[in-house]
Amino acid sequence: MRVQASPARRNRARLAVSLLAVMILALGFVVRLVDIQVVRAAELNSEAEGNRSIPVTTYGTRGDIIDRNGVPLAASVMRYDITAAPANIRDFKRRLDDGTTLTISVDRALEEIAAITGQDAAALKTLVHDALRDTPDSLWMLVEKGITGEQLGKVQALRIPWVYFENRPSRTYPNGAVAGNLVGFIGTDGPQAGLEYSADTCIAATNGSSTYERSGDGVRLPGSTVVQEEAVDGGTLHLTIDSDLQWFAQQALAEQAMAVGAEWATATVVQVDNGHILAAADWPSVDPNDVNASNVNDLGSRLFTAPYEPGSTFKAMTVAMMIDAGLVSPTTKLIAPGRFTIPGGYGEITDAWAHDDLPYTVAGILANSSNTGISVLTDMMSAEKRHAYMEAFGVGSKTAVGFLGEDAGKITDPAALDVITNYTEMFGQGITATSAQVASIYQTLGNGGVRMPLTLVTGCEHPDGTIDHLPPTDGVRVVSEKAADETVQILENVISQGGLRHNAQIPGYRVAAKTGTAEVAENGRYGGQRIVSVAGLAPAEDPKYVVVVTIGKPDTMKTSAAAAPTFKKIMTQVLTTYRVTPSTVPAPNIPLTW
Amino acid sequence: MTTSAEQPRTRSTEPEQSRGRGSEPRTAVVAIKRIFAAEGANYFLLLGTTIFLVVLGLVMVLSSSAVESLRDGGGGFSGFTNQGLYALIGVPLMLVVSRLPVSFFKRWAPIGIAVGIVLQLLVFTPLGWGYGGNRNWLSLAGFSMQPSELVKLALCLWLAWVLSAKPERLHDWRQLLKVVAPVAAASIGLVLVGNDLGTAVIMLAIVFGSLFFAGVRLRFLVVPGILIGMFGVLFAQLSASRRARIEAWLSGCETDYLDTCWQVQHGTWALASGGVFGVGLGNSRTKWSWLPEAENDFIFAIIGEELGLLGAAVVLLLFVVLAIAFVRIIRQQRDPFSRIVASGIMVWVISQAFVNIAVVLGILPVLGVPLPLISAGGSALITTLLGIGVALALARNRAMPTGAVGAPASERGGAA
Repeated sequence: MRVQASPARRNRARLAVSLLAVMILALGFVVRLVDIQVVRAAELNSEAEGNRSIPVTTYGTRGDIIDRNGVPLAASVMRYDITAAPANIRDFKRRLDDGTTLTISVDRALEEIAAITGQDAAALKTLVHDALRDTPDSLWMLVEKGITGEQLGKVQALRIPWVYFENRPSRTYPNGAVAGNLVGFIGTDGPQAGLEYSADTCIAATNGSSTYERSGDGVRLPGSTVVQEEAVDGGTLHLTIDSDLQWFAQQALAEQAMAVGAEWATATVVQVDNGHILAAADWPSVDPNDVNASNVNDLGSRLFTAPYEPGSTFKAMTVAMMIDAGLVSPTTKLIAPGRFTIPGGYGEITDAWAHDDLPYTVAGILANSSNTGISVLTDMMSAEKRHAYMEAFGVGSKTAVGFLGEDAGKITDPAALDVITNYTEMFGQGITATSAQVASIYQTLGNGGVRMPLTLVTGCEHPDGTIDHLPPTDGVRVVSEKAADETVQILENVISQGGLRHNAQIPGYRVAAKTGTAEVAENGRYGGQRIVSVAGLAPAEDPKYVVVVTIGKPDTMKTSAAAAPTFKKIMTQVLTTYRVTPSTVPAPNIPLTW
Repeated sequence: MTTSAEQPRTRSTEPEQSRGRGSEPRTAVVAIKRIFAAEGANYFLLLGTTIFLVVLGLVMVLSSSAVESLRDGGGGFSGFTNQGLYALIGVPLMLVVSRLPVSFFKRWAPIGIAVGIVLQLLVFTPLGWGYGGNRNWLSLAGFSMQPSELVKLALCLWLAWVLSAKPERLHDWRQLLKVVAPVAAASIGLVLVGNDLGTAVIMLAIVFGSLFFAGVRLRFLVVPGILIGMFGVLFAQLSASRRARIEAWLSGCETDYLDTCWQVQHGTWALASGGVFGVGLGNSRTKWSWLPEAENDFIFAIIGEELGLLGAAVVLLLFVVLAIAFVRIIRQQRDPFSRIVASGIMVWVISQAFVNIAVVLGILPVLGVPLPLISAGGSALITTLLGIGVALALARNRAMPTGAVGAPASERGGAA
């Protein structure tokens, strides 16, 4: 029998078999290793990553909003959130500079944090102790959000092992309320108003994503960060606004608005040759850094969003279209009747002051702001034609700015026009327009009859150098150069010969302007409220800048005299700022009567 | 092989003759010669492989323990310096032991097992302490040790002593049972009481391996093997935690990720992330507090992660080379004692290595057995090195049957 074979041979056989078994086992292990490390590796790796990799959002920087000179009106800053891992919160030993160690209790650490962040220490302790009680195993809780870099450095210096820091990109408005109504603001849920909202596609950053791996106890493993997608910074939004001028306009406006007890006020400065808005001031202003201080109705820009019955400032447009159509010239002699009877017995139109029939030239009608005179002119042109002109001036359609919530104003279709509005709309009643639209009309007149698209944003400059959000730049001829120029000359006589002489004249410069005092229709009736405005150009011989000041519902002064000083102040500043050469020739006198 | 075996044999006859003449100075000269005699290939194969494994172990212990050492406040190197210290103690001890004569081991075999069992008993006194549910540690004079590791070595020596002392016992199962069972049962039983299933399994393997390579008939091994297997199943069912571990293992670790499968699952993930070439030394993710015992029972997973399939296969290959070295040393032994000792140590080291790797690979349930020579752990490293020292002594002693126990003439001839 084999069992009876020599023990030595049997032992050698056993050794050989065992060695073979060891080799086969080892081979089996290698097969298993190949299975795990090669064959199923991908599947197992994704499982493992799912378990220990932590996705993180990387933030791009939201683009700045800058004025025409590069001054930031809105900028991004990094703020930091302090978080903690309740699972790790415990007393710890701090090594002091002198080499000794000091045990810091949780409460002591929280007091130190609160002292830096300005939190209420007791409330913070309650917060943390509640978390420790309710979610002792949690790896995340918020301690404080939005601390500054300086505070971050101080908290880091505390070397508390269980606090962590997260980046929180935040928005700041370095110039505060300057252009605050235009810029808008960022709320907790993103952009809420103004350009922050409407130009979000330009300035918003695209968040990137990356993952890192964490250790079993939550530590971020060095070198384990994998970027899936790079964050893309937002573009820089370039505005036409001049922040210094904007500040001045806001300041001047606020002063006057408060002085006359206005409900609201706007001021617009537009460059004539290209329609760029240099200043667009609203009162009350919004400080985007502290939105809660403002009334919710004041958050936008009324300049674009609040249409009103503009009143007499519209008369310049009416005169321009009549001259353009060749129906009259500035010196055409007309009679402005004391009462203009609306055909069909619908009533009479009168002027602000009682008078008999007056021998006015066309210039005289405009300079004296005669409603009856304008009504005489109105009869010279068909409603369709007049509306075509008005629409060409931009009445009834939004400006090219397309501001958030912008209103187009209201112009009645000529077919549906009632007999009264047929006349009143030509002197700015029964029709609405925004201050921006009024400014656009005066820009057209100043620019030789070519309306340039009103522009607030000149473009969006992306980090890669590309530029988009380019505004339209093509002008539209509305009236002939001659008609426009002659209208401006008449407007100049409004200042030189009219009632605005003391309020709006700027020494050394020739100014062309028109006032407007519109009654506010409330509940279908005109009441005691007024919206007063001055719209004008300077220098009149070669208009460069439009200024429109509108004051809504003033209490103490209900005539355009309320708006005129502000118009003068702002126009003076504009002429100074842009170093406009003073006029050398005095304004030509156009006869107003005959 | 034939020629290399030839020469030492002729030289080996000298001491016999000199002893016969009773010449003291010549004996001394021979003793000196023996100490400084050139070692054979097997000696260096075993020594080289061992040193390689120890060095690899040090590197991997440094890599896998750095993170947790740092976390525990000892600095990143504390795990490594400990292990380095053990290696600095263990390797010289191994070399000293490799210079000892076989007769020394034979003399100390019975004392060794007695000391081992007494130490193991001390574990259950206040001197002992437990860790991870296993009570098998002893604190002595400021040092902590695992007496069960020492018992493994003592068991190898004692089994060889007992089985070679009276060769006729090998053929009588009653005698075998009478002689072997009480001591083996005491050693293993004490470890089991300490709840260390892994060590018990390895000891069982040592007992069966020693019997197997001593030449005991297979049927003497099969019957107790089946009985112990049945007992093992019963024992496993007794403890809820063991039952859960085994059930989780049987179900492929898909149901119970958080608890019992944590180690195996993370071990598998570690291996998978290693791929063929590994993530690079030091780059393991799993060692960041994911894998408990990363520097110990699951160090093979970290090797597979950092050094990849290639590194893991090299470790396997090293253990196969170790087995080959042992087999060659066993085969050159004339003396049954030496042969059985070497076999026992081989079974100990190789089975422990394979059980450890099988656990990491998810082939066996988690048994808590360290990877010999590589895993962190002082007692295990030092006693394994001592065991290999004994095998090295035997390798040096290859052609010198001590003659204290008469080896069968046929075997002496068989080696030619």
